[in-house]
Amino acid sequence: MHGQHNKAWLMVLPAVLLLGVFGVVPLIAVLNYSFFDIFTLQDRFWVGGEWYQALIRSPDFYAALARSLLFTLLVVLIQFPLGIGIALLLPKGTRTSSFFLMVLAVPLVVPWNMIPIIWLNLISEDFGFVGQFLVWLDWPFDYKFNPFHTWALILIIDTWHWVGLVAILAYSGVSSIPGSYFHAAAIDGASRWTVFRFIQLPKLHAVMMMALLLRVMDSLMIYTEAFAINAGGPEGATSFLSLELGEQIRGFDYGPAAARSVVYVLIVLLVAWAFQTSLRRHNSADEDRV
Amino acid sequence: MTRKRSSGSQVVATVSRYLCLTLLLVFTLGPLVQTVVISFVSTLPRENVGRGAWTLLNYRHIFADPDLVASLGNSLIYVSLNVIVTLLVALPAAYALSRHSFVGDRHLLLLLLTFRITPPVVLSLPVFLLFAQLNLLNSPVGIALIHCLFNVPIAIWILSSFITAIPRAFDETAFLDGHSTAGFFVKFLMPAIAPGIGVTCFFCFIFSWVEVVFARILTSTGGKPITMAIQSLFGFTTDIGLVMAMTVLSLVPGVVLIFFVRNHVSRGFEIRA
Repeated sequence: MHGQHNKAWLMVLPAVLLLGVFGVVPLIAVLNYSFFDIFTLQDRFWVGGEWYQALIRSPDFYAALARSLLFTLLVVLIQFPLGIGIALLLPKGTRTSSFFLMVLAVPLVVPWNMIPIIWLNLISEDFGFVGQFLVWLDWPFDYKFNPFHTWALILIIDTWHWVGLVAILAYSGVSSIPGSYFHAAAIDGASRWTVFRFIQLPKLHAVMMMALLLRVMDSLMIYTEAFAINAGGPEGATSFLSLELGEQIRGFDYGPAAARSVVYVLIVLLVAWAFQTSLRRHNSADEDRV
Repeated sequence: MTRKRSSGSQVVATVSRYLCLTLLLVFTLGPLVQTVVISFVSTLPRENVGRGAWTLLNYRHIFADPDLVASLGNSLIYVSLNVIVTLLVALPAAYALSRHSFVGDRHLLLLLLTFRITPPVVLSLPVFLLFAQLNLLNSPVGIALIHCLFNVPIAIWILSSFITAIPRAFDETAFLDGHSTAGFFVKFLMPAIAPGIGVTCFFCFIFSWVEVVFARILTSTGGKPITMAIQSLFGFTTDIGLVMAMTVLSLVPGVVLIFFVRNHVSRGFEIRA
């Protein structure tokens, strides 16, 4: 297969070109803008690293970073046990599991800006089932002014939206395990936990790493849903990284926004690199075992 | 004795399993049931229909509004375009990645995935300027192309795991029979991985259908997709019933697709060591 290298590159080329033009060109533009004070795109001044200095000295940036990291941590801690649990509950290869996979996929097809609309309607005191129930309970749920309630609401919405993806990916990992493994474990008298720990979890590792990468990045940079719920409020309690960036863009602060974007892309690259290192280490450990 | 105890605990396990699954069902479908219900309720005080009365008025309003109908069409056009473009570039790339080893192949998929995880907000301003220069603003082509940024990597990932599942001998037989690469793709490979292509279409469709950040900045003055059309329904007095009816319509294509790929949706995510 040695002569195939060039031909293989030709096959990859269209994808690389497409992403190069529409991905790399904008990234270079962002990098370029980040060194300028921009009034209009024709009327701009070189400021060097000024925006970067301002950003890394700004306590707001670290506060937003901390909020985003906490949000991502909570998302992972909630959605992964839940998603893997759901995948384990589903009976393998039956109509029931096919039905539940369909149900789990439904929140994924809801346009992102409608997810907050649906949920705000659900908890509204006028029409919402949950809203009316809370009124009946006499429980003062106030996502507008109570930061804990805002956080809880966004976490519930995000879980509703994405736990299906984690479950579908986990199910795809679990269902790729041959049945003979389970028979062998049953003969050895292995407990449910042992089966999970030594048969299912290792098989899940790779696909869950992928799910982790997607969930970590999407929750770290959550924008649409969080903005629509409370626009970062109350008093900035849910002002995540992307919301701060969105605010700068809306305020036409293009120079600082570009510098911020570059920093965010660096965070993305860092996470992607950590992910690759971890996956590769796992793979080479696998090869050693064989 | 032991058998009795184990069958007893089995009953408990089955009952708790179905209890959990029922809770899951309520949690997942509850908000959507509410949405469907409200879409059939009149939520504004009107002359002949009372507030809170059952009605089909919301749906009738949608189809009476040319802008709303057009937005449905706009969304369908750019999503379909995106699926076609994504498949065209992702299929050969996925084949190359799963069959050949070449310089940089181990880094390539990760590099591509980096585009998938780069937040759209970061790229929104330069993408807007680039597309203004290319004359792709307010056009479905523009959105279809920019959505490739996150769909092509996902498509390559799913397709290559389906292609890897096919034995190499399959390709070699086709090539020995004298088929060209293009002929092999159309006549052999695509039918063999039809479920994989279905799953890929499904994920490309939904990720493009639900995306809002690029869709918003690229359609500031025209060609609005359904997501933006719904946003524009909010105003001083918002007709929530109408918003919910529009939301229900926006779910229909995705739900139909879910039904078609239901037996394959969990199969496309094998990760090669």
